[in-house]
Amino acid sequence: MKKSIVLLLLSIFLLSFSSYIFAGGQEETASSEPVELEFWTRQTQSDRMTTIQMLIDTYTAMNPDISIKLVPVDENDMALNMRAASAAGTLPSIIEIDAEIAVALGSEGILDTDASSALLDRVGKDKFFDGALRLFEAKDKGTYYGVPYHGMIQGIWYRADWFKEAGLEPPTTWDAVAKAAEYFYNPEKNIYGILLGTMETESYDEQCFTPIAMSNNAGLFDKDGKLIFNSPEMKEAVEFYARLAKTTPPGPQTWRARDYYLQGRMAMFFYSTYIMDDLAVFEVAMGSLTSDNFEGLKGAEFDPDLVKNTKTATILTNKKDAGFGAVVSMAIPKLNNPDVTEAALDFLNYLYSPNAYITYLHMAVGGMMPVFEGVANTERFLNDPKGVYSKYGAEKIIEITEGLNKIESFGIVEGNRIEAASTIYSKKIIPQMIYKITQEGMDVDKAMAWAEAEMKKLIN
Amino acid sequence: MNSDSVISKSIFTRGSILEDREKKFGWFLILPSLIIIVSLVLYPIVYNIFLSFFEVKVTGNNEFTGIQNHLNIITDPAFWQSVTTSIVYVLFTTLGTTLVGLCVALLMNRKFPLRGLVRSLILLPYVAPVIAVVYSWQFIFDPVNGIFMHIAYDKLHLFTERINLIRSPDTSIYVAILFGIWKNFPFSYLMILAGLQAIDTGLYEAAEIDGCKGWQKFRYITFPEIYFLLGSIILLRAIWNFNKFEEVFLLTQNVKVLPIYTYLKAFTGIMDIGHGAAIAMIQFILLIGFILIYVKRVLKW
Repeated sequence: MKKSIVLLLLSIFLLSFSSYIFAGGQEETASSEPVELEFWTRQTQSDRMTTIQMLIDTYTAMNPDISIKLVPVDENDMALNMRAASAAGTLPSIIEIDAEIAVALGSEGILDTDASSALLDRVGKDKFFDGALRLFEAKDKGTYYGVPYHGMIQGIWYRADWFKEAGLEPPTTWDAVAKAAEYFYNPEKNIYGILLGTMETESYDEQCFTPIAMSNNAGLFDKDGKLIFNSPEMKEAVEFYARLAKTTPPGPQTWRARDYYLQGRMAMFFYSTYIMDDLAVFEVAMGSLTSDNFEGLKGAEFDPDLVKNTKTATILTNKKDAGFGAVVSMAIPKLNNPDVTEAALDFLNYLYSPNAYITYLHMAVGGMMPVFEGVANTERFLNDPKGVYSKYGAEKIIEITEGLNKIESFGIVEGNRIEAASTIYSKKIIPQMIYKITQEGMDVDKAMAWAEAEMKKLIN
Repeated sequence: MNSDSVISKSIFTRGSILEDREKKFGWFLILPSLIIIVSLVLYPIVYNIFLSFFEVKVTGNNEFTGIQNHLNIITDPAFWQSVTTSIVYVLFTTLGTTLVGLCVALLMNRKFPLRGLVRSLILLPYVAPVIAVVYSWQFIFDPVNGIFMHIAYDKLHLFTERINLIRSPDTSIYVAILFGIWKNFPFSYLMILAGLQAIDTGLYEAAEIDGCKGWQKFRYITFPEIYFLLGSIILLRAIWNFNKFEEVFLLTQNVKVLPIYTYLKAFTGIMDIGHGAAIAMIQFILLIGFILIYVKRVLKW
């Protein structure tokens, strides 16, 4: 008995030892020092992962000494995971992040601004839209936390046919928006005025709120970084938002309720250019409806004329013009490992090469617009696989793309970067305030005082 | 006399050597589980308590802040709101699951055709994946397209307007409680049914001879027989539901029970681990308090 156990152990030991030698031998035959990169992408959908993996495979085939591990991270978890990785010393080599998170992480010293500058030099800094690049500028002028890669513009999408029939102005001014929202709001018929965010855990609220506040000259900070949240202009903006929120579908709502628009139950909704393919292409819209909620329910039929009848207003005006958009960048965390950083730069440089770039952007037609000139007007870009851009026409696409130059943000005041605005954004204080007012019926003054106190806690 | 005592002494010492050895061997045997418990249970708890006295920095340079974290939490009105919400949620879901489970178990303890099939079908809500049933509930209660509003508002006119029952702060807790009962009553049912089947039928026969009616049989035989079983189920359900996160959060994010408060406070946006640790500690103390009161006062164990 004992003998057999000893024999068994011995054979296991020998087996593992021989495989160890074998593995060691294999390793030696490969290249001398392979560099391993970890790429955190916010594209978590499996079809997008496949596309990115294809780009990675193409690159690693050309550069066998570099291997790249693709890790999908939900955009809402990115900041949390980055901080955890930073604390644990397991930072990835490349991350795909939006401007707010880039600034928040950058101000904590997690991101490598030198690497960003090096990448900008390689790709060509003058090519980028100033408006997009500005969003990533660090406190030290001329340095950047990340390099813009793609962007989207938000606007109010509206039923132009309904507006025409009712004789209403397009929703480009406060008055026009409010008038239309209240005109179309008819809960008895299950028809609603406008969709904007009212859920306390969703960044979507702040994305809808920003252009409203900015168009009323209401910011969070002045150019010296002093908190000026509790101002008469801000109160007007909050009250206006609350007024519009009365015409949304019942209860707290978020971007998912855009399906009500596709069903013909809503006149307007705040949304990014991500919606373009849903509006234009039958299969996409059906996929969106069924995967979310509404298979087989009344109203789930696709309206083929919707794209024709939908128009977009990307600029909102009250005291001044304001637009909103989000730009996503590629950023390199501080790694203290020049080999890895160099390999990351080389891979990113490849991702900016025309073919790889357009392949990447075509993953989300409408949602990923080019952030530098000379892409939107190319045949290859306009000819996306789903045939969406051709339905809108080159001129409209170029006009939307150039809107990326006019993005306003709470975090940049007269050219100065206010980093605390990103902290406030990531802590979702404005969404919580909106929720308190619109859903819990809290008084505007009281809710604003609460928000101001929370902001002060974060700044100090 | 003398030799006797020598003998007994030598037996005694030999006995104590044996006992010593056995003791050592005993320690040796429990050592693996001891190591696991200390490293995986005790150490995290102690470290959690330790962390709650610090402002935890990403860089690792934690700053000692004393009981500031705890003070911040217990002076936060939102915290006490969530404690109240938690108590309401735990109370109603625990009572609900136990009562429904008891009724269904009593029913299923009677003989009828296809009993085996029905017994297993009842387990369905408990074994179905949370995420799937949560979405189904959301579709049902969707204010614009959901079947519930379609029937209650369009057909039966029970409401004066369409209401987002599942998300509105006024109503979402009822939906969460209803969901909690529906999802978890099969567990109580299963346990109680097992208990019922273990009761000696002779007791009921004797009671019938003494002239007991249905309710009396339940009051004087069934209930005392399953009293401790019910007590344990209630205790377990209360502990589980006090710490319940996924069912409530996935269903509706607006019912802020303690675990969700912790998540929103400590883990959204910038991680605030010190605060998180402090909340966990306070939550732990509250839970222990409730359990002690329950065991001493209600169960009288």
